Amino acid sequence: MAEKTLIMESNDGKKIEVPIDVASRSILIKNMIDDLPEGAFEEAIPISNVSENVLTKVIEWCTHHRSDPPSSGDDDDTRRKTTDIDEWDQKFMQVDQEMLFEIILAANYLDIKPLLDIGCKTVANMIKGKSPEEIRKTFNIQNDFTPEEEDQIRRENEWAEDR
Amino acid sequence: MSKARNGPGTGGKPRRDVLASLKMASMEEISRASLPAEIMSSILDHLSPVDLIRAARASKLLREMAYDDSRWVQRLKRIGCWDEVEARKNAEEKFGTIANRASIELQESGAAQQALGQPAIEVTAVSDGFDKINLSASATNDVEDLETDPVLGALKLSKSIRGEARQEYGKIHAALAPFYDDIATLGPSSENLLFQNYTEPKQQAQLLFELQAFAKCDTTEGCEKRHEHLRTAVSMFETAALKEFRHGYETEDIDGRMKTYAHVLYTLNGGSSASELFIQHNHIVTKKSELGKPSDCIDGLAQKVKLHQTQVFFTRVSVAFNEEVSIINRAFPPALQTAEPFIEKVGRDVLSPFLTAIFDELHRSNKESYLVSVSSTFAQCMNLCDNLLPIQNSLDTFDELLHRTIAQLYEPHVDLYLAEELDFFRTGSEASVGEWDRQLSEQAASTESFLLSNINRQADKRDFLTSFKKVIMAPVNILPSFSAKPSEQQKSDHDSSVGEAGSTSRTNRFSTISSPGTPPIQEAPTTELAAKAAIMKSKMEGIRSLFSIEVALGLVHAAKSSLERAAQFLVIGGETGAAVKQQCEAIFVALLRILGHGHLIKGFNKAVDHLSDYRPREQADRDQSGVEPLVTFLELVNVGDLILQMIDVFYEQEMIGSNLTDRNDFLDPAVKEKKKFEQNLDERVAAGLNKGIDVLMEEVDYILATRQLATDFNPGVSTDPHRKTMDVSVTEAAAAVVDVVSSHTQMLVGSTDKSTLDVFNQEVGLRLFTALCKHLKRQRISIEGSLKLISDMNHYFKFIQRLKNNELLIYFKAFRELSQIYLIDSSDAKELATLIADASRFSGIWRVEEVYEFAERRADWFQIKPDVERAMYGVGCSVM
Repeated sequence: MAEKTLIMESNDGKKIEVPIDVASRSILIKNMIDDLPEGAFEEAIPISNVSENVLTKVIEWCTHHRSDPPSSGDDDDTRRKTTDIDEWDQKFMQVDQEMLFEIILAANYLDIKPLLDIGCKTVANMIKGKSPEEIRKTFNIQNDFTPEEEDQIRRENEWAEDR
Repeated sequence: MSKARNGPGTGGKPRRDVLASLKMASMEEISRASLPAEIMSSILDHLSPVDLIRAARASKLLREMAYDDSRWVQRLKRIGCWDEVEARKNAEEKFGTIANRASIELQESGAAQQALGQPAIEVTAVSDGFDKINLSASATNDVEDLETDPVLGALKLSKSIRGEARQEYGKIHAALAPFYDDIATLGPSSENLLFQNYTEPKQQAQLLFELQAFAKCDTTEGCEKRHEHLRTAVSMFETAALKEFRHGYETEDIDGRMKTYAHVLYTLNGGSSASELFIQHNHIVTKKSELGKPSDCIDGLAQKVKLHQTQVFFTRVSVAFNEEVSIINRAFPPALQTAEPFIEKVGRDVLSPFLTAIFDELHRSNKESYLVSVSSTFAQCMNLCDNLLPIQNSLDTFDELLHRTIAQLYEPHVDLYLAEELDFFRTGSEASVGEWDRQLSEQAASTESFLLSNINRQADKRDFLTSFKKVIMAPVNILPSFSAKPSEQQKSDHDSSVGEAGSTSRTNRFSTISSPGTPPIQEAPTTELAAKAAIMKSKMEGIRSLFSIEVALGLVHAAKSSLERAAQFLVIGGETGAAVKQQCEAIFVALLRILGHGHLIKGFNKAVDHLSDYRPREQADRDQSGVEPLVTFLELVNVGDLILQMIDVFYEQEMIGSNLTDRNDFLDPAVKEKKKFEQNLDERVAAGLNKGIDVLMEEVDYILATRQLATDFNPGVSTDPHRKTMDVSVTEAAAAVVDVVSSHTQMLVGSTDKSTLDVFNQEVGLRLFTALCKHLKRQRISIEGSLKLISDMNHYFKFIQRLKNNELLIYFKAFRELSQIYLIDSSDAKELATLIADASRFSGIWRVEEVYEFAERRADWFQIKPDVERAMYGVGCSVM
């Protein structure tokens, strides 16, 4: 009983015990804790959209960042200013693309803004310098342009052409 | 435990609910490798514009997201060339006035084409590096081209149009990105594309300025490093430009190099570094020792401040300052706010050490000249302000700025100064009063008194007061004559303004002088006053031992100069201003205390003491015209009144006129003190008058007792063979009494208020009446003497008539009636009896018994008594 914990249950039925302050990195969980009376968490909380390995990964991130100051809300500019991802997070994000997307989705669902940001940045870095075709591949997007349309976009934005 | 506390109802159910809802919450099954749109959107947030456009080409959804106008507006905002107001105006123009959709689209496409056209040229030009267009552009580029050149004016040319933010950004990007990327990737050096394409420092500065703005929208990974590179490039450029600028200043190439680089630096980053450099290395600061030394301004022997020396210093400062200002005006772009820091710098580094040195030195050696120097240099500073050239566009704020600077300059000194001023005044006045007291006690033995001739006091006082007022209103000559010119001018300025407003503290002081036909002579009133004071003094010899008008004048004068010196600082305003006000009030209060309580009231007390000690019967040598201490006292009352009026004038002029205090604020210490002083004075006057009446009556008694001869009213007993039988003239005693009383009551006229005077007169009259009654009852009056008595009574009556007091008149009328009972022949006892019994005849002042008593004083009473009694009480009355 050194610290209070709660149990999270992934969609494939695995239960993971998490210290409350770690779990509170998720705004979703945090709001729930705030709303419920103490001792109401004997039962596992189902996290129905997240599989065990992703949940473990997210909890790993939360554990590492458990003592971070709470993000200053949705102050857009301050979040943008810290564009560079710190080393630990970079390493943390070195996963295959599928996992990366899962993490982003989980972060989105659990409402963990910093993690979501890092995920987005990582994806943005992936996109950087890629051709449209490569981007389509990365995101599994169908090319729904006619060649004329594509050409038009290029013409409209000639300033952004490679030199 | 907690469950138990919460109860089963609240504990169990909601918990289950929450979990149930969580369980039920399910997201749609999403394809494994795709992300929801909002996440995509936030991913796009982190892309550089180039990547964003590439992503836009991937799919329609991505294009929509990437083209989202707000995304680009954001960027433009960050660069600082998005004007929300303009955007709104544009939008209104578009959608408010043109309803036709087609035309909107037409317009938009047109704009888009335009947007496409321009950057295209630039991109090719830039990509070739040394393209013809660019070369020609840089060769022909002039100052005016800064606005129109597509690269240099990129930011200014951009418009804020909703829906076209992307295109606008595109233009800017096309213009600036090559230079930016060049610096960002290669690092700062003189080889940068920017410096090669543009050779004019002005253009380079402009471009660098734009790049700095442009860099603000670069937030993608690694931007820190790129920003750093740009910053280094900018600072490199700035350093070089500053060097040139300084060189220009040192070689006095003001219109050439200095001006160019001031403008360059201004375009680069607002030019603060240029103005800072200019201020730091300013000639006026570096060469301040040439302006004058503090030691020159202090007269070592007399320990006085040499005001003309300080004036010389200030003139030099103003000349040097104006020189620098002209440099500023010529070299710096007007938008650059050089004025404020420059003035502050001059204040801090030139004026402040100089003044502080002077003040410190004088404070150590001589208090008075310290006070003089503080206030006069302050006035000189203010004069200085008028001589300074305004700096560029700061015209409106310039004066305010100067005043603020001066205020800052003096702020640290003001507190000490005010304390010293009050102290100086207090000790000075106390010393002068003390000195006077001492002198007085030395010659107390030889006090002599000249009695006042029948001078017209009213007129004298009025005369004196007018000249006093004049002096009070004349400004204290703080600045010696050499600076008279500006102040004179100022004054005439003020004079003209007084007519309309007269609201400022300074103008008010001149207000009376400026009355038409009276030229502002500063010396005359003072001397005039001195002469008047001398006259007054000679007239008031009598009260010399009690009070000195000269001392009072001296005090008032000292207070006035102190106040005026201190009031100078009122202009500073704010907290200091409040402190100044307070201190001025303190000075006024001190004046009242010392002059009023220390001097005047003391004199009054002494006079009252004299009065109560006075015994007319013990007085050996008697003078005809009055009771000496009473005369003295009454004179003192006069003087007290004079002083009171003086203080009042002073208060009106100095305190109210200079806005130092509020007349209606009854809690104000100055007002309170003034009231107190007035009260005290009134009390003293009342007490003195009380005593005075006693003394006066004693005198009357004494006169009646000593002067009234027994033969006056009963000539029959006289042994003088030459006496006239029917003498109707007034007796000597009555004349003397009336003289004494009237001369004293007269003295009070005009010096105390009407009600006091009335009360005094009434009291005097009543007491005189009783005294006369008593006196009458001691006399023997024959029929022959009764004529004299009647004329006496008429004499009294006439005197009382002059007092204009109806009540009193009744008493003396009764007296007149009464005197007739002595005139009735002894044979007419019956007549006499009716007269005695007729109480109404005497307006009920005496009862019959009393009249009877008077009748007893008839010389032939015993002969007629039985007859009278018989007539009164009937036949066969008691036999005595």
